[in-house]
Amino acid sequence: MNTAVGRLVRAELRLMTRDPLVLTFVFAFPIVTMLIIGGAFGTTPDRAFEFTNPSHWYVASYLTVVIAATGLVMLPVHLASYRERGVLRRFAAAGFPRWSFAIAQLIVGLTTTAVACALLLAVAAPVYGVPAVHDGWRVAAALLLGAIAFVSIGVLLGSVLPSARAAQAVGLLIFFPSFLLGAGGPPPHVMGSVVKQVAGPLPLTLLTNAVREPWLGLGPATGSLIAVAAMALAASVIAARRTVL
Amino acid sequence: MVVDGLDLDVPAGEIVGLIGANGAGKTTTVECIQGLRKPDSGQLRVLGLDPVTQAEQLRPLVGSQLQHSALPDRLRVAEALDLFSTRRARDGGELLEQFGLTERRRSVFSSLSGGERQRLFLVLALLNRPRLVILDELTQGLDPAARRDVWAAIRQLNGEGTTVLLVTHEMDEAEALCSQVVVMRAGQILDAGAPADLVRRHASTAVVRFSMADPPAALLDQVRQLDGVQEVEQAGTRITVRGHRRIIAYVGAVLVCWEPVPADLSVHVPSLEDALLGLLDGAHGAAAEVMPDNKELVGGRR
Repeated sequence: MNTAVGRLVRAELRLMTRDPLVLTFVFAFPIVTMLIIGGAFGTTPDRAFEFTNPSHWYVASYLTVVIAATGLVMLPVHLASYRERGVLRRFAAAGFPRWSFAIAQLIVGLTTTAVACALLLAVAAPVYGVPAVHDGWRVAAALLLGAIAFVSIGVLLGSVLPSARAAQAVGLLIFFPSFLLGAGGPPPHVMGSVVKQVAGPLPLTLLTNAVREPWLGLGPATGSLIAVAAMALAASVIAARRTVL
Repeated sequence: MVVDGLDLDVPAGEIVGLIGANGAGKTTTVECIQGLRKPDSGQLRVLGLDPVTQAEQLRPLVGSQLQHSALPDRLRVAEALDLFSTRRARDGGELLEQFGLTERRRSVFSSLSGGERQRLFLVLALLNRPRLVILDELTQGLDPAARRDVWAAIRQLNGEGTTVLLVTHEMDEAEALCSQVVVMRAGQILDAGAPADLVRRHASTAVVRFSMADPPAALLDQVRQLDGVQEVEQAGTRITVRGHRRIIAYVGAVLVCWEPVPADLSVHVPSLEDALLGLLDGAHGAAAEVMPDNKELVGGRR
C-alpha cells in the first residue's frame, strides 16, 4: 500500500509501538487498573453492581478506558507534538494531502484501540473470565462509535492545543475524572447524588453504559448509544474540518 | 505584511539564491511557493501550477528542505525513506550512500547529529526526483567538510537539470553555488543578478593594507595617483588604500619596487557579503528603492 495514507499509517503504527506514553496509558494502565479494581470487589454478585459479578462489571467497563486513553491522552499529545516540532509542515511540504494525516490518525487510533482491547481481554480471561456478551451488535456498535468519537476528539484536541505539554495537561485533566467517574471508578450506585449527576452526562460514562449494559444483559442502553453516535458524528465532522496539515 | 509586491523569476535549470537580513520575508516567500502559506493577493506559478489550488499536482514535483521542521523522534532513517517515497522515488540507498548516511540506516531521528539531520533532509528532498528543489538554510550547523559535500551534491543535482531555490545566510555559499541571487529586504526585492554583477554594482571597493616603519612620501604619492585609488589613509605605520579592485594589482606592483617590501600585505576583495551589506545600508530609511525593473516570479519552466 504505497498511497500517502498507507505510508503514514505504516509509519505511525510502528512509531506507536515505540512510544512510552502509548505503551503506558493505552496498553499497560487499563490492564493494571482493571486487574486491581476488578479484584478489589471480589466476584460475588452485588447490588452495587446491579447483581452482576463485580469483576465482570469492570472487564466490561475497561474497554472504554482503552478508548478514552487513546483519544484523550495518546492522540492529543502525539499531534500537538508533531505540529509544535514542524513534523506536520514537513509532511505537508512533502506532498501528503491535507486530509491524509487526519485519516491516518483515525486508522491508527482505531487499530491501537482494537489491539489494546484484545490484549485487555486476553489478560482478563484467565484471571476473572470474560463475561458472556448478551447483545453483541449493540456492544460492537457502541465500541466502534465510541472509538470514532474519542479518536476524533483526540485529533481535534491535538489540532487546537498549542503544544505537546498543553495537550498532555489538558488530556490528563479530562481523562482522569472521566476515568474515575465514568468507567474505572466506583459503580454509580455507590456514588453520591451530586457526583452521580456530574458523572451521568460525561462522554465516557455514556460510552461505558452503551457498552456495559448490553454486554452484561442489564438493558439496551439505547439512549446512551444514541448519545455516543451523536458524539461520534459531531466530533468527526468538527475534527475533519479543523484538522489540516 | 511580510512580503509585498514581490516579483521574481527562477529560471529553469539554475541555482537561484534568496538572501537578505533576518525578517526580510525569504521564508515566507518560500512557504508561499511550497503552498504552505496562501498569498493575500497576486499571482504565483511554480512549474506552471498554482501552489495553493493545485498543491496535490505540484508537491510531488518539488523537493523541500524546510528551515524549522523535524521528523518523528523514533522514526528510523530507512523508515523515513519509506515514508516519503512516492512512485517517482529513486533508490534511497544510493542517496544515503552519497550523503554518508548508510551506516545510520537503522538509527532513529533523535539520535542523529545536526549535520546528519540536515543531510537526511536533503536526501528526502531529492528522493522523488523533483524538478524544483527548495533548500532553506540547508547547511546551517554543518561542519566545513559536510558543507562541501552538500555543495557538491547540489551542483550534481543542478547538473542533472534540477532547478534549485536556495535560501541562505551564508554568502560564501550563495557565491559558490548560485548563478543568480535575489536580495530581499522588508518583503521586497532590492536587487537581483549574478553574484559577480551584484558585487560590481554594490561593493566595488577593494582594500589593500600594509605596514611600513617610515613610509616615504614619494611612495604614498605614487600610490595615490594609481588608477582607481580613492583613498589612502595612514595611521602610524599602517597604510590603508581603498579603491577599485584593480588597485590590488597596481599597489602590489608599486610596492615591489620599494625596499623593503612589506611583509604583511593584505587585501580585501569585495564579496557578495559586502554587496549585501552595501545594499541593505543603502536601503535603510523609508525610501528604500525597489528594483526598478522588477522581474517576474518563480517558474522553473524549461
